[in-house]
Amino acid sequence: MNEVFPFGLEGPTAFYLVLYLSTLLIHIVFMNYVLAGSAYLAAHSVFRGRTNDESPLAELLRDWMPFMLSAAITAGIAPLLFLQVLYQERFYTANLLLFSRWMAILPVLIAGFYLSYLLKSKLVHRWPLAARAAVGCGTFACFAFVGWSWVENHLLSVQGHETWEKEYVAGTLLYHNPELLPRLTLWFLAAFPTMALVVGWQLWYRHGRNIAANEPVPNIAGSRRTAVIAVAGIISSTLVAVAYFWLMKSDVRDAITSPLAFPYLVMAIVGGVIQLGAWVPQYLTARLSTKWLIVCTAGLAINFIGMAVVNEATRLAVLDITKLYAKHRRAYEVGGFFLFALFLAINSGLMLYCLRLVRHGWQAAPKDGD
Amino acid sequence: MSEHLYYPVNDFGPLMKGLVIGGLAITHVFLAMFAIGGGMLMCYFQWLSQNGRCRNTRRFIDDYFRVLVLISFVVGAVTGVALWFTSIQVSAPTIGMMVDEFHWIWAIEWTFFSLEITAGYCFYRYASNLNDRTRLTLLGIYSLASWFSLFWVNGILTWQLTPGAWVENGSVWSGMFNAGFFPSVIFRTITAMTVASLAGCVVINAMPGLSRDERTELINRAAHFLAPMLLMPLLGIWYFSTFPPDARALVLGANVPMMMFMGLAIGASLLIGLYAMLGLLRKKLYINGATATLLLTLSFAAVAGSEFVREGVRKPYTIRTALYSNSVRPNEIEHLRQVGCVTDDPYPLQNPDDYPNDQLRLGAKVFRFHCSVCHTVNGANALTHLAGSWSTTQKRMNIAQLQRTKTFMPPFAGTPKELEAVVQFISWHTADAPNTWSETNDAEALRQIRDWLDEVGTKPGIELELHAEQGGGQ
Repeated sequence: MNEVFPFGLEGPTAFYLVLYLSTLLIHIVFMNYVLAGSAYLAAHSVFRGRTNDESPLAELLRDWMPFMLSAAITAGIAPLLFLQVLYQERFYTANLLLFSRWMAILPVLIAGFYLSYLLKSKLVHRWPLAARAAVGCGTFACFAFVGWSWVENHLLSVQGHETWEKEYVAGTLLYHNPELLPRLTLWFLAAFPTMALVVGWQLWYRHGRNIAANEPVPNIAGSRRTAVIAVAGIISSTLVAVAYFWLMKSDVRDAITSPLAFPYLVMAIVGGVIQLGAWVPQYLTARLSTKWLIVCTAGLAINFIGMAVVNEATRLAVLDITKLYAKHRRAYEVGGFFLFALFLAINSGLMLYCLRLVRHGWQAAPKDGD
Repeated sequence: MSEHLYYPVNDFGPLMKGLVIGGLAITHVFLAMFAIGGGMLMCYFQWLSQNGRCRNTRRFIDDYFRVLVLISFVVGAVTGVALWFTSIQVSAPTIGMMVDEFHWIWAIEWTFFSLEITAGYCFYRYASNLNDRTRLTLLGIYSLASWFSLFWVNGILTWQLTPGAWVENGSVWSGMFNAGFFPSVIFRTITAMTVASLAGCVVINAMPGLSRDERTELINRAAHFLAPMLLMPLLGIWYFSTFPPDARALVLGANVPMMMFMGLAIGASLLIGLYAMLGLLRKKLYINGATATLLLTLSFAAVAGSEFVREGVRKPYTIRTALYSNSVRPNEIEHLRQVGCVTDDPYPLQNPDDYPNDQLRLGAKVFRFHCSVCHTVNGANALTHLAGSWSTTQKRMNIAQLQRTKTFMPPFAGTPKELEAVVQFISWHTADAPNTWSETNDAEALRQIRDWLDEVGTKPGIELELHAEQGGGQ
């Protein structure tokens, strides 16, 4: 591929790929919050304090985890839909080969959901440390299992028929691939900067949004730790990404450094540097500032777009996308896109309206009969 | 190379694949009904609360919504995704075709689902601190969004049985607004109201600290949502009239399980309806938690029965006229009868050493391709039970003319050699899978099978039946 993504691709294929990646990015924001957040809570439940007061981060994460999981699942529907349009045979085959092991993500997700509610409840705080740690670690284990399953599914889906046939005959339900561990580690570590940024905005909204510029800088509890998590996540995920890059096959590496994806690789690096540059002052002042959080958000967005395309380039490197052009063209011809675009706009507006309603409809809680 | 796309096929053991997806679909549909009707019910109670027409409504709404979030938002959302994944396991080509044709409809539904979750969580998190007007608006948005989710998905589901003009023009809108669309969406809306009302009665009984009078007052209000059940018989007849004649025949006696499940759906609905009209609406009786739970269970039975029928009457298709239940397209049959249905199947058997000869190995592959989506060897809907007592000649003829043997079966799509292999496969299993089994190599038998295949042709049995009714049958 000698043109920058998505220009070298046929129209319908490029269109679905852009849609897929755009919706995937929304899903990843919530997914990262859940994955990294549950890991933080697991560690917190094992190593740290008994009360919420000691950790504003843990309190926030516990409080928001069920909603974020729900949002992650809901936001995951759209990329899952476009993935089926784009790579139907490969995705379905990987699903079928992993069979019951793959299907296990569904009860595990339900278990993770209820554990996250349990983790949020006051009941758990009265439990002994071992029980609380079990709930915290159990929640994380559920989401880690789902992450592992997705990575395994992806790696199997990009193989050829020879591997699929071998896997089918073996019927082991586990797919061993040398890329599994580095890829999973990369996803996991890269989840922390996103989680830190969202938590940063939440802390800012709760404690710092009404501070005027000429007032003394307040020390927002948790801001230092948020910055540390973000910086550690950016540095460690970059190191793993470099190691993973050298583990890849040469043709995949070539695809990443080809004109198709190289500009996006640069974007991913620039996005990471911007984030680092914006987290350091917040760490030093122990304050989450509007300005630096906006810079961080911009950095993360640039990094996300870059990484998403680089990741897709690794898939495009191992399959002949031109063979799928006819199928994508056919899918492109079915009606409904404009209505989708219309309802996307209307319903997105209504979602914002719901948030506005909550802000403006606030009052002291009345009771029945008031 | 055949145009047919081969996927790896998994063995569900003694479980029939249809039962797995059916069980999941029923659970998901019931929870979705609970969520959709629940939104409407809470709008009604919020309105009652604002107008001071009923006590304890605010408390009821908050308690009901907590149950809704904990059950419907969690299990309902995950089972929705699970339906996609399970459909892939059962019939990847079916869900693939549905996605290809209706991905924008699903994408539209996703925008409504996202709105539903947003409005729902806003209410769940902040309702106790919101003024009445905001509460009502949020509940209204939530209800509307959840109902529109039903609206869009309903089009895809009814299209599977009554694709209408889509068959000719391929238009997504012809497929979406098919003959079954409107009766189905109205019927499902009333079902959702019924489920929500009965779930409401359970929640009211579980609320602590209420007197009997207060509970009765709330229950009588919730029972208002049962009143539209009066329309169900008419709507049911309207919906049923949109079914193709062969699908109607399945329910009316051609298929006993189908008839029984239809009876279950009607019987359970009738019992709920009678109790609702006479007891709750006319006499304004109080019902305790046990009775409310029993009625809710009956509503689950009604939903299960009707969903089973909806899935079952599509036979021999999963998408009428476009895809048979074994994932073979009607226009592929002739080709597969020439080249073989498993000749190009790249996936070997997982257990080839279990079979004493190559013919049985071929039979096992044909069974996997042709039969395993609906049948097992020895478990549910087992071939050894259905065809074990047939003579060899009978098996050959009945399978060669499968669509004539049972009109809800698809035509056999393979060569005579493959058919003979599956006949031997059934006979071997019926004989308890002995260690030795002779291969048959009877040219006359293969010629006879070819004749039977040619005689019946490649049309589905339901079309042969129509042909016979018109005086053209043999």
